[in-house]
Amino acid sequence: MISLTSPVEIWAHRLPAWLKLAALSLATVCLFAIESPAVLALAVAAVAGLFLTGGRVFLAEGFRNLRILWTFLVLIAVWHGVTGQIEAGMAIALRLLAAVALANFVTMTTRLGDMIDVVSFLLTPLRRLGLSTRALELAIALVIRFTPSIARKGALLTQSWRARSPRRPGWQIVMPMAALAIDDAEHVAEALRARGGLE
Amino acid sequence: MTMQSPLPPKAAASDPNARSSAAPSPVLKLAGVTLRLGQHEVLSGIDLRADERRIGIVGRNGSGKTTLARLLAGLVAPTEGTAEISGVDMAKDRKAALRKVGILFQNPDHQIIFPIVEEEIGFGLTQMGLPKAEAAARSHAMLERFDKAHWAKAPVHSLSQGQKQLLCLMAVLAMEPALIILDEPFSGLDIPTRMQLMRYLDGVEASIVLISHDPAALRDFDRVIWLEAGRVREDGAAGPVLTRFERQMRLWGEEDDLSDLSG
Repeated sequence: MISLTSPVEIWAHRLPAWLKLAALSLATVCLFAIESPAVLALAVAAVAGLFLTGGRVFLAEGFRNLRILWTFLVLIAVWHGVTGQIEAGMAIALRLLAAVALANFVTMTTRLGDMIDVVSFLLTPLRRLGLSTRALELAIALVIRFTPSIARKGALLTQSWRARSPRRPGWQIVMPMAALAIDDAEHVAEALRARGGLE
Repeated sequence: MTMQSPLPPKAAASDPNARSSAAPSPVLKLAGVTLRLGQHEVLSGIDLRADERRIGIVGRNGSGKTTLARLLAGLVAPTEGTAEISGVDMAKDRKAALRKVGILFQNPDHQIIFPIVEEEIGFGLTQMGLPKAEAAARSHAMLERFDKAHWAKAPVHSLSQGQKQLLCLMAVLAMEPALIILDEPFSGLDIPTRMQLMRYLDGVEASIVLISHDPAALRDFDRVIWLEAGRVREDGAAGPVLTRFERQMRLWGEEDDLSDLSG
């Protein structure tokens, strides 16, 4: 389902999360400063090379994680093809590809807990003001925990519908899915209370 | 922190260093406990005192077993009466409750909060005030105690139902509560998985309250409490209570009370 940290351990897993995030921010700013498609193509090649240092399995996983991006890239290419700005379209597509792949690289090589620690550090000023940031840190973990679980429940509802209807399910399963999500939320609240809550 | 292996159960039970011989068992005390959810009275006037190390709770669906488990763990407060473990109100003093009582829900998916195995185990420990590094070290020690060190980085959604239940057990054990409440932890698991989990449980030093539909699982327990319609119907040694429970269940099984609607 959603793949985050890669099970293939590479050298980058051992780097501190803040360093990776800082390097990512810097690299992204640079990518947006570059206009030439040729240089951006080089950047894409460099990112591919970065993935290759993790081995072939890691590279393949990196490719799979970019699946969702292809539709956007095709859309951008078609649009700029129609409006005749082919060079600008190439630049945007390559920039997007390099930036997203690089961000994925950081995600794939950083444990969620370390990522949350960085967020927590960045939120230190808020804590100084007396606001609790634990809820936010927990929220990040909960989203990742429950996205596959709610997706699976949606699939089960779809099957339950199909078992009794020749038509495909549509909006009708939205309400029961929302109800299931609320149900999940109540269970998590109880699980949290069982282990000390958020105070 | 004792790091004894949960296997084999006999050796664990007779270990002279085991906590059971060192620390006194926690004392459960319910006095006039009634719990209403809306109009419905789920538990009615329960009086109970128990300090046995292995306590079983049986009863039909809807007899109030799960509610009693949540009440004992301090997740819900009684509408009337008091519920205490070793003199402390679990619903009011949540901080003390973390050290006194752990609960394993029927469905591990309702219990697991975190996406990664080691985070799930570590959470309870940081909640108890341990620094992150120490919590991580203890999580790993717990995984190693069950020979599951390779699970540390695994995403929880990749685990099977039995594996998730074991993860929940490890997360609860890591907090070293004096009492562990298990709410039908084995329903829906196949026989080998159930046997393996049961063996892990046998080796646990903490006192245990196990809610079960399966009289066989409670046969060796020190005490069995039979709930019926929110009241204690029988309470005593496992053998006689379970025999009468099974006989009654079979009698009711021949009737048709499935058609009765509650309320």
